Amino acid sequence: MASINYAFKEISCKIVFYGPGLSGKTTNLQYVHQKIPPQTRGDLISLATDQDRTLYFDFLPVDIGRIYGFSTKFQLYTVPGQVYYNATRKLVLRGVDGLVFVADSQKCKMDENIESFQNLAENLSEYGYNVDKIPLVFQYNKRDLPDISSVEELEKTLNPKRLPYFEAVATKGMSVFDTLKCISKLVLDQAKRKQLFPEREIKVSEAEKVSAGLDLSQMPQPEPMKATVSSSTAVENSTPQTVTTIPKKEREPLSEEMTPKETQQEKRLEIELDVGEITEEEKVKMDQTSFRESSTIISWSAGKSDKKTKSKGFFLLHIFNKLFKR
Amino acid sequence: MKQGDLVIYEEQIEKIEKALCRLIKDSQAKCVLLVDKDGHLITRQGFTQSLDTTALAALLAGSFASTREIARLVGEPEFSVLFHQGKKDHIHITLVGERTILAVIFDDRTTIGMVRLYAKEASENLERIFSTVNRQHHQAEDQNRIDSDSEFSTSLENRLDDIFSDQS
Repeated sequence: MASINYAFKEISCKIVFYGPGLSGKTTNLQYVHQKIPPQTRGDLISLATDQDRTLYFDFLPVDIGRIYGFSTKFQLYTVPGQVYYNATRKLVLRGVDGLVFVADSQKCKMDENIESFQNLAENLSEYGYNVDKIPLVFQYNKRDLPDISSVEELEKTLNPKRLPYFEAVATKGMSVFDTLKCISKLVLDQAKRKQLFPEREIKVSEAEKVSAGLDLSQMPQPEPMKATVSSSTAVENSTPQTVTTIPKKEREPLSEEMTPKETQQEKRLEIELDVGEITEEEKVKMDQTSFRESSTIISWSAGKSDKKTKSKGFFLLHIFNKLFKR
Repeated sequence: MKQGDLVIYEEQIEKIEKALCRLIKDSQAKCVLLVDKDGHLITRQGFTQSLDTTALAALLAGSFASTREIARLVGEPEFSVLFHQGKKDHIHITLVGERTILAVIFDDRTTIGMVRLYAKEASENLERIFSTVNRQHHQAEDQNRIDSDSEFSTSLENRLDDIFSDQS
């Protein structure tokens, strides 16, 4: 069902294109993706087999802008049409707000259309939805092919309730947008009926700031401390669980030198902690990578500074913090 | 099984983001996403600028949904934790309450144990916040109204005509 975020003033609705295999569901999304302005849509994501058959779903997010002060977004999904993929097909229906049933107009495909529509009703009922209560439009696709069923036949067989329908040729874009406009309107009309759009203006103060990313002002500030630590790789064997139980607040700055006994088998690793002074190289590294706790800048005086050894360094830090706390 | 619309209010989002900020700080993760099971992104924190978070949310929800079916087939009600290990970045996914998913993206600067511990703590905290959201949703239902049907329809049709047209 629709997601409404009053803080960001966003409403997000899910529209699913359902129908038998090869009826043109993915083609509909591809056409929409190709034709709508790039700033209003995201990337088209297809989870498909090597033969370009939908395996799980295709996904296209579309932002239609502000309606009643709310940034309104549609998430367009297709399902895998093949009978074999019913398990994944059912999953896509979760939380659906509107449905487009893409039927293949060819006479030989009529049975598949009927089977797929019955399957839709069954899958919806498993989620507790009623096919009669969810906005639904029909798209009779492939109208340009020979040997197709008449619209009357299709209507009689698939759409006895006379819901909106469109004759389409998805490969050429015929009626693709008409179908989408119709279902979008039905979905938003229902959202309005369900009173999801508020009458009153809701104050939003932090939304923009927060959406920009992490608020660095809440991050810990660097503490002046300097220590030279010598240890062995034997510490690597400590379990992460032990390390993670050390609350950060209780950590104390390292202020003395510690040199455990070295054995012949142990490879020594020197780590110099110098938090007060950050070199240019480290500053660049911090910019290039993302957030790292500012109180743990490590420069390596021995050993390779690959990821594995960096990870060891963090383990060592935690262990030493724990020791000093005691 | 059927659940109503997920509604998030400003005061809840502030609490949620505070919890997520703390999770990032404690676990030293790169970023955190909170997604509902239908694939809608609720909010995110951390360094997400380079990520397509909308697509990520949909895929995370899809991944979680398929894992839930796998769980059901092997006789488990739900796998509440998922972990994807990559060469550089890893994703830890936790179920929060009944309908939201917490995804933590982290790299080798921290450890899975650290992320797991703090994600569990954050998940419990978020669950408490969400139970408040649900209560308030029911209370707020009667307050929201739209006066003018015609204004809504015109506004909507204009927007749809602008965007869904065959002119490329």
